[in-house]
Amino acid sequence: MADGHVPVLPLLRRGLAAGGLAGLAAGLFSLLLAEPLMDRAIRLEERRQEGEHSHAAAAAAVKHHEELFSRGTQHFGLVVTAVVVGLALGVFFAVAHALVHRRSDASARPWPRAIALAAAGFAGLSLLPGLRYPANPPGVGDAGTVGDRQLMWVAAVVIGALGMVLAWQVHTRLTAAGRAPAVCQTAVAGTLVAVLLALFALPDNPDPVPVEGTLLWDFRMLSLASHAVLWAVLGATFGALGLRALRERRAAGHRPDPVPSAV
Amino acid sequence: MSLHTARHTDPAAVSAATVRTRDWLIAAGAVVLALIALYAVFIDNGSLISATGDYLHEFSHDGRHLFGAPCH
Repeated sequence: MADGHVPVLPLLRRGLAAGGLAGLAAGLFSLLLAEPLMDRAIRLEERRQEGEHSHAAAAAAVKHHEELFSRGTQHFGLVVTAVVVGLALGVFFAVAHALVHRRSDASARPWPRAIALAAAGFAGLSLLPGLRYPANPPGVGDAGTVGDRQLMWVAAVVIGALGMVLAWQVHTRLTAAGRAPAVCQTAVAGTLVAVLLALFALPDNPDPVPVEGTLLWDFRMLSLASHAVLWAVLGATFGALGLRALRERRAAGHRPDPVPSAV
Repeated sequence: MSLHTARHTDPAAVSAATVRTRDWLIAAGAVVLALIALYAVFIDNGSLISATGDYLHEFSHDGRHLFGAPCH
C-alpha cells in the first residue's frame, strides 16, 4: 500500500454503494418535489395541443406520453433512472478518486477528498452543462431536433468534465511550482471562464419553450437541486465509508501511512 | 519504495502487479458498463438498442427531463 498502490476495488464498492444511495435520495427527492410540476407541465401541454389542433392526428400525438406507460409507471421510472444514474456516477467517482490520488496513500483524508470530488463532479457534470442547456419540463422538446440536441448536450457534459480536469491540473501544477494562492486561484477562475466560453460557443437549443415562466424556473431549480442532492449524498456517503475503512484499518493495527498525501 | 526495485524478481511483488492489473481491468469494465447504462437511460431512442423500442425512452422519460437530458 505504501508504494502508491491504489486498491481500486474497495473504492469501486464504495462508489457503487454511495452512488446507489445517492441515486435513490435524488429519485425520492424529485418524486416528491418535481413530479407534481412534471404532471402539471404534461396537462398544460395536452391542453395547449388540444387548443391548437382539434383533428384526429394531433389528438393521437397528444396522447404520446400515455401511449406506452401510465404516469404512475413513469413516476416509478424516474426513481429507477435516478438509481441507475447514481450507480454509474458512483463508478466514475471511484475511478476518478483512484486516478486523482494515485500518487499518494489512497486511504488518507477520505472525507475532504470525497467532498472535493463531489463538488467538482457537480460543477463539471451538472452545473456547467446545466447552465448551457437548462433542463426543460415535459412538453418542451421537438422530436425532429432531438438528435442534434443530444450531441450538443453530450458535448457540454464532456467540456464540463474536461474543464474540471483542466482546473485541477492548473491548480496542482501552479501549487507544485510554488506559486502563491492568489495566483493559483486566479488561474483556476480564468480556466473556468474559458470553459464557460467554450460551452457558450456551442449552438443554442433550437426548440421553442412554450411554458409559463414560473413553472419553467421552478422546474429548472428543482432539476439543479436534484443534481445537488445526488452529488452531496454521493460525496458524503463515499467519505463516510472511507472514514469507516480507515478506522477499521487502524483498529487492525496498521500504522498510518508514512507517504505524504497531496490533496 | 523497495517494492518498485524488487518488482521484477520478487514473486510476491510480481503477483501484486498482476492483482493490480486485474483490479484496473475490472474498474475499466465497470466504467464501460456505467457508460452503457447512462446511454440507455439518457440517449437511446430505440434506435441503437432496438429491441427495447421506445419502452426504455418512455420509462426513463421523467428522469431525462429532470436531469436535463434532451427529450422529445
